[in-house]
Amino acid sequence: MTEILIRTIEGSTINSWILTTTWLWPFLEIIHFIGLSLLLGSMLVIDIRLAGYIRNMDIMRTHDLLPLAAIGLFINMVTGLLFLMGDPARYLINIGFQIKMALILLAGLNALLFSLRIKPVMTQWDPYGDTNTEAKVIAYISLILWFGVLLLGRLIPYVGTG
Amino acid sequence: MLEWLEYTSLSIWVAESIWGYPIMLSLHIVGLAVVVGIFTVYNFRLLGFFNSLEFEPFLDFFRLAWLGLLVNFVSGFTLFSSQATFYVTNVPFLVKIFSIISGSLLALKIQLRLRSMVKARENRITKPNWEDRFYAMISLIIWTSAIFGGRLIAYF
Repeated sequence: MTEILIRTIEGSTINSWILTTTWLWPFLEIIHFIGLSLLLGSMLVIDIRLAGYIRNMDIMRTHDLLPLAAIGLFINMVTGLLFLMGDPARYLINIGFQIKMALILLAGLNALLFSLRIKPVMTQWDPYGDTNTEAKVIAYISLILWFGVLLLGRLIPYVGTG
Repeated sequence: MLEWLEYTSLSIWVAESIWGYPIMLSLHIVGLAVVVGIFTVYNFRLLGFFNSLEFEPFLDFFRLAWLGLLVNFVSGFTLFSSQATFYVTNVPFLVKIFSIISGSLLALKIQLRLRSMVKARENRITKPNWEDRFYAMISLIIWTSAIFGGRLIAYF
């Protein structure tokens, strides 16, 4: 199954375009790094406040940063997809890449949990007060997952394949 | 001197052990995300985005950013020492180092301006002036160029 997918991608026009365009790969890497800075930077502010720290910041307002996180995520999904299309054999069978994708999925579910469980009650909180235990757990899980994504991405070249 | 650095036990561990190099790279990317992430969010704030965010709490976030910079200074130094003679003539590396030094000094300047603004208790009413926006713009450019340099080290 993976074999067929790899071979299909490797025969595609986009694959050869990515591989033959000079400096495209390092350029995409740079954009990927900028994207991760936007994503992690805004998640740090949001999650640290959600965990109950830095209470002189209005908790409702930190969520205005979500569009920036979304832009970072979008940039990295596009550049990441291009890496995958450019070198599918390297990524698809790599355990680091597989766990990274699983962690992104879990981070998405965690965000869903936030919008179902915390967002509706947040409006009643003191905007400069402590947060509840459930919110703290969600915040810590979010930080762990996103920094896990970051680390696994960096370690892809160093972990065993398959 | 650089060759001596390459033969210290730490640099040999980073260069030759299985996990030395990846561990340092991992610390380095975490530091990057924290430093560039936090300074970028605040620079956007100065430029007029996310206007609802208050200024004062960023002083606490900056502390975290400086901690990230320390992590990257230490991890970066060990990565450097494992191949000192290579890095010292690598143009992207030199661009990166220059960017980080000027970026850090500018971040310090930006933080001092924030602190004096907070001290004047103008936190909620003051709008960033053209000078703040100018520094924010330059800061964004410098951190981007640090990433450019860092990423291109491997290609030169």
